[in-house]
Formats: sequence, C-alpha cells, structure tokens
Amino acid sequence: MNIQTESVAAANTVVAVNNLTKKFNLPMNGGEFVVLDSISLNVNEGQFAAIVGPSGCGKSTLLNIIAGIETHESHEGGSVEVFHKSAEAGSTPRIGYVFQNARLLNWLTVEGNIQFALESQQFPRERWREQVTKYLEMVGLEGQEKNFPLNLSGGMQQRVAIARALAIEPDILLMDEPFSHLDEITARKMRFDLMEILMRAKPTILFVTHDLGEAVFLSDEIYMMSAKPARIFKEISVDVPRPRKPEDPVIFDLEKELVREFFSVLDAQD
Amino acid sequence: MPGPLVLLDRMIMVYGDPAAYLVVWVTIVRILEGVVICMLIGTALGLLMGLERNIEAFFDSWIMVLLTFPAICWAFLSVLWFGLSDIGPILTIVLIVFPFVTMNIWEGTKAVEKDLVDMATVYKASRSLIIRKVLIPQLMPFIFSALRIALSLSWKIALVGEAFGVGTGVGQQLIYWFEDTRVDMMLAWGVSFMILMVAIDLLVFRVWEKRTFAWRHKIAS
Repeated sequence: MNIQTESVAAANTVVAVNNLTKKFNLPMNGGEFVVLDSISLNVNEGQFAAIVGPSGCGKSTLLNIIAGIETHESHEGGSVEVFHKSAEAGSTPRIGYVFQNARLLNWLTVEGNIQFALESQQFPRERWREQVTKYLEMVGLEGQEKNFPLNLSGGMQQRVAIARALAIEPDILLMDEPFSHLDEITARKMRFDLMEILMRAKPTILFVTHDLGEAVFLSDEIYMMSAKPARIFKEISVDVPRPRKPEDPVIFDLEKELVREFFSVLDAQD
Repeated sequence: MPGPLVLLDRMIMVYGDPAAYLVVWVTIVRILEGVVICMLIGTALGLLMGLERNIEAFFDSWIMVLLTFPAICWAFLSVLWFGLSDIGPILTIVLIVFPFVTMNIWEGTKAVEKDLVDMATVYKASRSLIIRKVLIPQLMPFIFSALRIALSLSWKIALVGEAFGVGTGVGQQLIYWFEDTRVDMMLAWGVSFMILMVAIDLLVFRVWEKRTFAWRHKIAS
C-alpha cells in the first residue's frame, strides 16, 4: 500500500483511484458481479477529467464510491483517496456532487438549498450570503435567491445544483451525467456555461458521461471505459485551450477518433 | 330523539350560561395536551423506527399490541391509577392515540427519497440537519394526517375519560344528562362539541397545512 501513497505524493493529486475493484453479490446463485475491474485514475488539481463509457459500465458506482455513498471494502481490492488543500487536522476533503437529477430540497428556496450545503460543511454563517450571491451569479441565476425550485425549469434547477456544489469550494467536484436529462439545446448552453465557469473558478472536476462529444469539448483528460469487463481501456489528453468551440476541427476529429476506438472495443467483444 | 330545532334550542340554552364555556375549555385543554404529547412521542418513535433497524424490530410488534389493546381498558386503568386527577384522561388519550401517530410516521419514513439523503450525506450534513431539512419536510403530509387522526380520536376518548373519571368537562355533562334521561341536553352538548372539533380541523389544521405546502404551488414573482 505504501507504493501507492508515494506515487500520489509526487503530483498535486486530488483524487487517486488505484486498482479499484468493486463486486456486487448476486442474490440468486451466490455468485459475484464485477462492477469495476481494477480501475486506476488520477485527477490533478484544477483538472477536468472525464470518464466516458456506455450505460451500465459502472461509472456512477465509481463516483459514488469516491463520494462515500457506495461502500467499498478493502478486501474487494484497490483504494480510493481524496486529498484536500487545507490539511487541517481532522478535516475531511470537501466533495461537491452534481447528480443526473438536481436533487434539490424543493421546500427550501434556491438560497436555502445552497445554504444547506454550506451549513453541512460548517461554513461560517457570515460568509453564506457572499457565497450564495457569488455562485448564483456564476451559474446565471442572480436574483433567484428567494424563488422555489419547482418554479424553475429543469435546466435552471441543475444550475442551482451546480451553484450548490461550487459554493462549498470543493476539493473535487463530481458530476454524473449532469446534462443527460436536459433537452439538447439546453444541454449545449449548459456546456458552454460550464466551460466559462471552469475558466473563472478553476474547480477540479471528475465528470462522467456517455456523450463523447461532451467529454471532448469539456475535458483535459478522458478515461475511456468499457462495460464488460468494467475497465478503463484508454486514456487521452485533450490539449486544446479554452474557450473551445464544438465545431473546432481538432475537437471534432478527436471525437471521431474516440467513436472509432469505442466501436473497435465493442466489436472485439462481439 | 329530539329534532334539529329542539336541539338548536337546547344548544342556545346550554351556551346561554357562561359556565358552559369553562366546561368546554377544560375539555379542550385536556385534548390539546393529549394531542401534543401523542404527536411528540409518536413522531419521535416513528422516526426512530424508520431510521434504526434495531428499534424498528423491537417496537414493530409492541405497536401492534398497543393498537389492539381495548381502549376501554386504558380508560379504566387510568382512573384506577390516577383517580380524579387531570392526568387520567390525558394518559388515556396518549396511550390509545400515540401508536396511531407512530404507525403513520413510520410508514412515512419508508416514502423518503433516498436520493436526497445521499445528497445530504455527500455534503456531510449532520444527522440533526438531515432530520430537520431533509426528512421532516418529506414527512409533513404524514405528520398532518397523523395530527388529524390524533385530534379526531382524542376528543372522543377525552369525553369517555371524563365521563368515567374526573367529573369535570364536557364528558361529565354528557353522563349527567344521560343519568337524568335528558337525551336532548346530552345531544346538545355532544353535537355542539363535535361542531367545534370539525371547526378546529377546518380552520386551523387545513389552513396550516396549506401554508406548509406553499412551496408546491408558489408562483414566481
């Protein structure tokens, strides 16, 4: 185990996943189902890393293990570590999570929802107002503090969820197909706006998607994952400066290349 | 049986005497005390049963035992234990009604969205914050229905408890006029009290419920 710690300490790593394996027991025959098979990846500070793979390849499970809402026993194999900047004694890393659905508390106002996260993270109360205003403005929802989530469109609700995640100034921001439930036009606008946010707030993000175009457009680093076995089969860097344009030929070519890669892996499986 | 006009006349007679209001007040205070205690115990226990497997396993059958225990036995036992003190009818209410409240809240905890609890867990919300801002709001429909059940059961039990035991309140009036074979006066008390309870349900609880769920309908300003 000490080998892993050393390799990690070298870079400004925020998330280190080493040879992670996750199994579910099958209730029917007492067998096991391998959800994640020896997954390794590193997310460095300020980096936008994406995991791309087909539905059911275990991407969300990986995020949930990192977030601590899915269990992982050491005997299953491998480890997950999240490091944090303010290494105060006893403090734990701050994790922001944007889910497929906004998962807002509909009985609280927009402001109340963001304050919920701030209170959970024990942000000093006198900073709440400043954080709420700053991040609502960043996601383009200034003036919506007192509104209730159910008055907002799906896209706006997801913006609130993004503001909530950013407001705690997370060490790592996990995003699980956050635009997959939105219509394509709204999703496209959201991706542009997310890129703006990347340039302003410089969060560290681990993003999960099945949309290759989305991954190429947004990411610095892409991990390509197959379903059976649930492994990472390729890692690609996207060295295109931001702001990016989706019609940029470099981006477009890369997307085509990724599609080819995926089909070659899928075909090999058939 | 007295007709509606006779009944109306007797009600006017009953409430023509200022002493009647004190009688009603005494009963209402007992009912409210009973309801409040039931709601506190029932909600806390229902929530605990929903959250903790061990507690659920332990109380699962006990709640059923309490629910099936004959209500009249509680009324007699309370009189035996506490005689003519105020505690008797209140205890009777609590023992009969709190299991219903517990059942309702416990059922409610099963309808809680796990997704939201997961969200709160990722953000490291404390247990008390999760209960206050994530669980209780989702339980509000169940809490309101429990409150309704509690009120409607409590006032009937209170009257029975008063009739058997303490010798004050509306229940005592009922038994007094019953023993005097004055069905008209007995019904005047009973029906007028029923009207009052329905009014509380409509004017207090419904309005309160509507306000609580305003977030469902709030229109953007």
